[in-house]
Amino acid sequence: MLTTPERIAFLLLALASLLLTLRGVRLIVRAIGRGYGRPSWGVFLRRVIPVSLDILLQRPIFRTRPLVSLLHAGVFFAFVFYGLVNVLDLLEGFNGYSTLHASGVASAYNLVADLLSVAALLGMLGLLLRRFGLRPFRFNRAVFLLPSVRFGISRDSAIVGGFILLHVGSRWAGQAVRIAESGRPDWSQPTASLLARLLGGLDAATLAVASHATWWLALGLILVFLPYFPYSKHIHLFMAPLNLILREEKPLGRLEPPVGNGQLGSARLEELRWYQILDAYACIMCNRCQDVCPAHGTGRALSPAALEINKRYYLNRNLNRFAGGTTSPPLLETATSRAAVWSCTTCGACVRICPVGNRPMLDLIDLRRSLVFAGDELDPNLQAALESLSRYGNSFGKPARQRARWARDLPFPVKDARKEPVEYLWFVGDFASFDPRMQENTKTVAQLFHQAGVDFGILYEDEWNSGNDVRRVGEEGLFELLAEHNLAVLGKARFRAIVTTDPHSYNALRNEYSALGLDVPVYHYTEVLAELLERGQLRPSKRLQAVATYHDPCYLGRYNRITAAPRRVIRALGLELREMPRHGENTYCCGAGGGQIWMDSGGQERPSEQRIREAIALGEDVRFFVVACPKDMAMYSDAVKTTGYEQRLTVIDVARLVAWATGLIELEREAAPVSE
Amino acid sequence: MTLAVILKQVPDVVEELAIDPSGTDLDRDSVSYVVNEFDEHALEEALLLREATGEDVVVVGVDTTGELDQALYTALAKGAQRAVKLVGDVEGSWLSTRALAGLLAPVIRELSPRLVLTGVQAPDDLDGQLAPTLGALLDWPHTGVVVGTELADGLVRVRKELWGGIMLDLELATPAVLGIQAARATPRYVPVGRVRQAMRESTIEEVEVETPVESAPKLSRLRAPEAAGRAEMLTGSPSDVVERILEILRARGLY
Ligand code: SF4
Ligand code: SF4
Repeated sequence: MLTTPERIAFLLLALASLLLTLRGVRLIVRAIGRGYGRPSWGVFLRRVIPVSLDILLQRPIFRTRPLVSLLHAGVFFAFVFYGLVNVLDLLEGFNGYSTLHASGVASAYNLVADLLSVAALLGMLGLLLRRFGLRPFRFNRAVFLLPSVRFGISRDSAIVGGFILLHVGSRWAGQAVRIAESGRPDWSQPTASLLARLLGGLDAATLAVASHATWWLALGLILVFLPYFPYSKHIHLFMAPLNLILREEKPLGRLEPPVGNGQLGSARLEELRWYQILDAYACIMCNRCQDVCPAHGTGRALSPAALEINKRYYLNRNLNRFAGGTTSPPLLETATSRAAVWSCTTCGACVRICPVGNRPMLDLIDLRRSLVFAGDELDPNLQAALESLSRYGNSFGKPARQRARWARDLPFPVKDARKEPVEYLWFVGDFASFDPRMQENTKTVAQLFHQAGVDFGILYEDEWNSGNDVRRVGEEGLFELLAEHNLAVLGKARFRAIVTTDPHSYNALRNEYSALGLDVPVYHYTEVLAELLERGQLRPSKRLQAVATYHDPCYLGRYNRITAAPRRVIRALGLELREMPRHGENTYCCGAGGGQIWMDSGGQERPSEQRIREAIALGEDVRFFVVACPKDMAMYSDAVKTTGYEQRLTVIDVARLVAWATGLIELEREAAPVSE
Repeated sequence: MTLAVILKQVPDVVEELAIDPSGTDLDRDSVSYVVNEFDEHALEEALLLREATGEDVVVVGVDTTGELDQALYTALAKGAQRAVKLVGDVEGSWLSTRALAGLLAPVIRELSPRLVLTGVQAPDDLDGQLAPTLGALLDWPHTGVVVGTELADGLVRVRKELWGGIMLDLELATPAVLGIQAARATPRYVPVGRVRQAMRESTIEEVEVETPVESAPKLSRLRAPEAAGRAEMLTGSPSDVVERILEILRARGLY
């Protein structure tokens, strides 16, 4: 029980602390409110329960780093439970209510509180040891960091960690003191009772002082810490769940149009959407996004973590002014660099891995939009590609009429889907149509469809680039132009479903075009091939006996979760599939996405080369590096040469393997023994 | 003050060109047009000058294709202030360079620009006659093969490329007519959104003109280039290739 002056002091302190904290929180709410758009309460109601459950189970955190996540879970559960503990402790301070030596529910409460205290202390010590002992958080040299960030991250971590240690530690010690005062161990608080034995020798007066001191250290500390809370990363406690709950259930592959008049993009913090500003407050600075970022992994200037952290530190330092409505400096001066913006492959790995639901990639795309719209100088190759796309509908600078040239070499005519109804409309894609290295694959796919009796047709010169990467490069107007054209042509054709060879086109058709009114099933060709094999429409005449690994394209595996179909095909051919560590939704980018295929990479090593090494590390016996994306075929055929593994590993499109097994084609280099 | 840039559309040679059954014209239905590449550089150079000195840029063109608007709006989107289109019975005809200059000269005199910039040449003006002809008609100094410009008081300093990489720096009194070979920077990209914005928000001024009667040579027949002999790639082992070469030489009596 507190003395009366103590009670008054506590209440006054609480009032001051709450007022200060409230001011901080209000500023943050106003800061977030400066962003475009507003959260939808419908989304909140729909998601609050399921997402809260996810968070209680710590599912977003356990996506990676199991050990660290375990430590976090310890601290997290303790913290949640400590909400109750703090209330009861307050009661104890003010009217003497105590659960000491109690039985029934109260003893269960005691036990949980006791054990979780230790879990939190150990978890926190572990996390602090890791952060300060192992120093796992490093940024590439080229990454832009605000000066306040370098020192700030450590200081913030130390303060938050110290607070948790002191708060939980004092409460735990306080219980021990009270147990010691009572003169007998409380079996429902085993660890505190152990500690109490050490205090057994102290006299009653000392114990009484200690009881008050620990109470103040545990609860008074909260009041001292509270005003700092909105400026610390600890605020993720509220902001992260909020961020996760308020996130619209929209496919990652469907971008929102730029803010402003629909073209502008976002050059400044206040030109982002509200949730992109919230991202900065939800960020826990764990750098998981950076770990999976192919741009950062190849030494480039981009770190999605640094982007969020810079935003946050800019806000921390300028919260008053920003919340007040002053124009902030360009994001390219406070959050990231031009080089970083242009190295994103839009692979989506950062979005998928982030435990608090941040989407740094969206900021990068909005920044590109603003750069493109402002007429900022573009990479010359990118400019040439965009000019070609707006003129010819493809990035190859070739007349549209040449798009279906590959079909001339086939022994059968390919139906013109503009003129006659077909079951499958095959949206071939730029690379598969124009790149001479890819045309062989394209012909193979056509022959397989033909062999299996699939009724299919193409749009000939009226198919234009789907605009998936154009949109991600930030050229929204050109994306609209391409999409309008394709939608008009698709609208006139008669077909049951679309099949596409290219995961990027797949994503655009399935996620972007559907938002613009296209309402037909879209399949990737691996899905169709898997079906044809399983239904016996394609009959392998030989089983391929070799070990293969499969690379999931970002826009197929991660964005659209098509991971099973290509594997079904590979297995149906008799191949032994050995997975790379990063596969399925956790796949690693080939480095070509988001328009990178049109830009000069400038990284130390290309992501595709790292990927080939990842496959090589699977063992000597892996002979095939199987791909299901024309761009991958291009990227990895190069990478396997530049890494010098050309003799060991054959990069091959999954359709070529099928055609080989069905006897449609002979492979030049028989990399694997084949049994009849 | 203004800088006038002349834009001309020419057939896109990336696309396959077909000859009209009359034999004296391209099949206009299948032709698609692009802005003459050198004119793009002239525009870029003008925009760079504008950025340095704040001059207004006005783009001028004769609409022979019926599609000039696209080019003019694109120029406006890139940063030009005005666009002037010469229209009339010229649509659907090919104008000789002399006729083109004749139509443009009075309009340009009216604009009284400090400089006139045009592409140094065009697919239908391989000799680069437009700048000199305009200069002569306007009685203004002119030069071609320009790769850099700088405006000063009452004059323009130009850098001109001569043979063998030799550069020549000249000063011309303004107004002057320049045939631009290359702008100092790659012609800029203009986002589609900006072009659409220009189409919504700006207007193109029109001037009525009539096709001039001129004593120009008459086109009697247009012919597609004849397919030259194809190169044959020799493949196989080095000794196979050597065998093949010897065989070919022998067949021609050269060995
Ligand atoms: S989308 Fe991929 S490349 Fe871009 S920031 Fe995220 S992880 Fe890095
Ligand atoms: S954005 Fe997400 S993954 Fe990246 S550092 Fe912040 S919390 Fe971690």
